Amino acid sequence: MRAVLLLIATLLALPVMAEPPHGYPFQPFDKAMQQAQSENKPLFVYFGRYGCGYCEKTNKEAFSDKQVRETYSKNYVLAYVDSESGKRLRLPSGERVTEREVGTRYNAFVTPVFTFMTARGQSLLRLVGVQRIEDLREADNKVQQLLNKEARP
Amino acid sequence: MRLQITWFVLIFTITSLNVQAEPWEFDKPIVVTSTNSENIFHHLESAGRHNIAISADTVAVAWEDNRDGTPRIYLARKGRNSQNFSNAVKISGRGEAFEPSLVALGNHRFALAWEEDARIHLRIVTPTELGPVITLGAGEAMQPSLASHDQQLLLVYSQRDGRYGRIWMQRIEIDGQALQTKQACAVDGEPAKDDQLYPSVTRLADRIIVAWEDRRPGHTIIMAAQNDNLKSCRFQPPQRISEPVPSGGMPYGKGHGVARVALAQYGAEQLLAVWADKRDFREGYDIYSANYQAGSKQLFGPNLMVQDSFGGVAQQWHATVTGDQSGRLVVGWDDKRNGTADIMLSWREDDEWSDDFSVPGADGTGEQNHPTISLDAEGNLHLAWVERATADGPTRVLYLFGRLVK
Repeated sequence: MRAVLLLIATLLALPVMAEPPHGYPFQPFDKAMQQAQSENKPLFVYFGRYGCGYCEKTNKEAFSDKQVRETYSKNYVLAYVDSESGKRLRLPSGERVTEREVGTRYNAFVTPVFTFMTARGQSLLRLVGVQRIEDLREADNKVQQLLNKEARP
Repeated sequence: MRLQITWFVLIFTITSLNVQAEPWEFDKPIVVTSTNSENIFHHLESAGRHNIAISADTVAVAWEDNRDGTPRIYLARKGRNSQNFSNAVKISGRGEAFEPSLVALGNHRFALAWEEDARIHLRIVTPTELGPVITLGAGEAMQPSLASHDQQLLLVYSQRDGRYGRIWMQRIEIDGQALQTKQACAVDGEPAKDDQLYPSVTRLADRIIVAWEDRRPGHTIIMAAQNDNLKSCRFQPPQRISEPVPSGGMPYGKGHGVARVALAQYGAEQLLAVWADKRDFREGYDIYSANYQAGSKQLFGPNLMVQDSFGGVAQQWHATVTGDQSGRLVVGWDDKRNGTADIMLSWREDDEWSDDFSVPGADGTGEQNHPTISLDAEGNLHLAWVERATADGPTRVLYLFGRLVK
């Protein structure tokens, strides 16, 4: 009986809607941007939505990969934006925006949208819709090449 | 040569037809906000998008900005024929304040509700005075939206109830400049199963209708409930307004997204709900509407797309709606079909939505977004919106008067 209750409790605790994937240090957009600026690291912004099916699919089928998790956690400051949420954020410029408005500004008209950005918010690469493990690896390679190219004197 | 002339005549004819089709002739934009500079950001946000109102011949616009480093609520007014708005009057207190909802009370008076330090605040503004502020309840609450009827205000808001926000309605009596709280109740009698957010309220002659965003099915839907016994505060069980769309057998996700419902009364006893709807998941949000069905078991009728087919490949945001006693009904939103965010309108004509109309003066270079609209008693259209030259640049609130011409 105890095992059954434990199982039910575990199932209830599992996310049933699209949220940032487990095991990744996703943060609110404003905090992530602050951290990215202080550490001079690029941002990886996940624009999702409550109940988003393609976000859930990408979480289960791509972000579950151990290598993707290690690479993205190491190379980027990770931000998650619920593009329908009224949660308030304060950008480094001092502007107060909601998560929904961040989504509007970065054109997250479908979900998921994954945007690689500089610490100042300049878009480097954008992935739209469901992503596979190989898509995420390839995107990381492209962004790292781009950043290395820009860093050369 | 003949072909060129034919094309010219055709284009001229089409253009002329379009010009003649608009019910309003628009003046040039007027700047509402007197404090505009780097690092000052204005927001026209409120549940239901009630940020502009007209009382007698006074036009008022309410917004939030951070001119002194803290987000606060401000109000500016002008006479209908004046070309300038008054200096902004600070409405909120010492705390961080957001999302003002504004309604006209008649005789140049207005009522405002806003969120400040996670509480709902209200006050009346007359041409000469600011009425006393009242603060509702002890619980954390946000997203107020107002409606007025005779000497009563109806206020709806989302109040934190455990893990979730829950929609409440508060009746408020107006006594001169004073406000007296009366009955209050949760709109859905059942405890919230997930967040209930961004409500909008309308009072018809013998009933009250509230609509809001609801996340109970695991994604966001629009729901509504009505109270048809005005002596009681009890609402009938809520119903879903935004229709589900077939998932196509996809095993993931709970459903498509919707956002920010707004209600407007029109005609004698008619009511329209509008919202942003992502049922076509490839092209972003579209503007959808549903009509209230008096006397029917189903509170609202079928969902209809408001925008025309040219908007299908662009994104639409921030739906706002207004109506008048004669039956006019107008929906506004911002729209990127022309490459930049422009303010667009569609109105009800011959029992269908008109072609979309890009408002002159609220389109073109830069960004024009977050519209709020209101029709006055003569059918003139009043529009305010947020303008910014660049995506991260400073903002201004602008106003346009549309004179009724047909």
